[in-house]
Amino acid sequence: MKQDVDCKETATMPVYPPMSSRQNQFEALVRGHSTDLYRYAYWLCGQDALAQDLVQDTFLRAWRALDKLREVGAVKAWLITILRREHARLFERKSMPSDDIDDFDLPDPQATPERRTEESALRQAIAKLEPKYRDPLVLQVLGGFSCSEIAAQLGLGEAAVMTQLFRARQKLKGQLGLDDQAAEVSEL
Amino acid sequence: MNCLEFRRRLGSEPACSFEDFVAHRAECVHCAAAHARAEEFESRIRAAFNVAVPANLADRILLAQTTEARHERRGRRRGFAALMLAAAASIVVALVAVNRPRTEVPELAGMVVDHLREHVVGADRTGSPVPKQDVMDAFAARGVSLASVPDGVNYVHKCPAGPYNTVHMVMPERSGPVSVVYVADKRIAGQVDFSRDGMHGRQLPLGKGSLVMVASADADFDAIERVWKSAMGEAVATSEGFAVPVLQSPGPGAILAAP
Repeated sequence: MKQDVDCKETATMPVYPPMSSRQNQFEALVRGHSTDLYRYAYWLCGQDALAQDLVQDTFLRAWRALDKLREVGAVKAWLITILRREHARLFERKSMPSDDIDDFDLPDPQATPERRTEESALRQAIAKLEPKYRDPLVLQVLGGFSCSEIAAQLGLGEAAVMTQLFRARQKLKGQLGLDDQAAEVSEL
Repeated sequence: MNCLEFRRRLGSEPACSFEDFVAHRAECVHCAAAHARAEEFESRIRAAFNVAVPANLADRILLAQTTEARHERRGRRRGFAALMLAAAASIVVALVAVNRPRTEVPELAGMVVDHLREHVVGADRTGSPVPKQDVMDAFAARGVSLASVPDGVNYVHKCPAGPYNTVHMVMPERSGPVSVVYVADKRIAGQVDFSRDGMHGRQLPLGKGSLVMVASADADFDAIERVWKSAMGEAVATSEGFAVPVLQSPGPGAILAAP
């Protein structure tokens, strides 16, 4: 029997048949990547509910196309590509503002008050970044992708991605009043 | 790699593991210190990006997928059965058409009923009305703006039904609880009443989507239909003209669930 499922709140839980290997593969995919994908979706669209819908739609598409997945190592990039397309579709349909992130009240309960304030300020700063700076930064920090992988994802040149990432960090530091890395470079 | 190249790479990819990057860091004290500062900043960025993830997200995704997969299997079985029956049906097609049961469950309602069988809402979750804002939010997440929220919605959740996005609600009415499911992205042509396995149902077009009601009795369907038409801003016809009816609050014994 499965664990608690939000959508099945009663004691009348059905008994599930043994899972197929395809189902096993998909479940591993969901459990292994839904957290990162949600966070990526959140920073892409700025809304919790929309991010959840995006992630769910992404995995449903992934399920339908699971047989096309050949390289296990490329699964995260594959999922992110699907999610970006889902987001683009949604954007076309609803004209959703992609940079309207306004809810940052998601504190880590373990964090100290000082740490929470700092995280909140940093989140505000990230949200204020233009999408062209924020998108590669999210892919790098959350996705763990290299500059060349991000370039492939975004359809840009590697040099352009490097510049955007450099400027994204500069802008964050500028908004937080931290020392400027560009200044460090120019001093050399 | 010289210091300038190192710092440029550091500014764009602090976690870079290129051999010459690592080698320069090992041999230049100033760049090693800059790398340490960059690493500290990266850990702060990572913490900021790590927003809290909704509880049970993975489970909800798996539920949506298993619901869809089940529907796909059923569709394939139906397809195969239809193929086998095609030859025989050609002989008796007229007879089948004449004798087609009036209470057959329509396709959309069938998906909703399938979902309700999967997603059984416990009585402990339907004891009191949910905040109206929750209902508003659930509809808003489906791209639907409500003019008002009817009284007596004791459960609300965004759920999938087959390929469709729905808002699943439970409204405990006088004749028993009614599962009310708004399908946001599928508008059917007209109203259909149906029954299956002792349960009664109704589906009707509403707004840009469809409303499906399922319950053990159909006595409250008309009232629920009126309040939801009103909630969607549609004119409601009554014996006194056009009005906005109000449902009574749920009775004390009202509990329930989906079939």
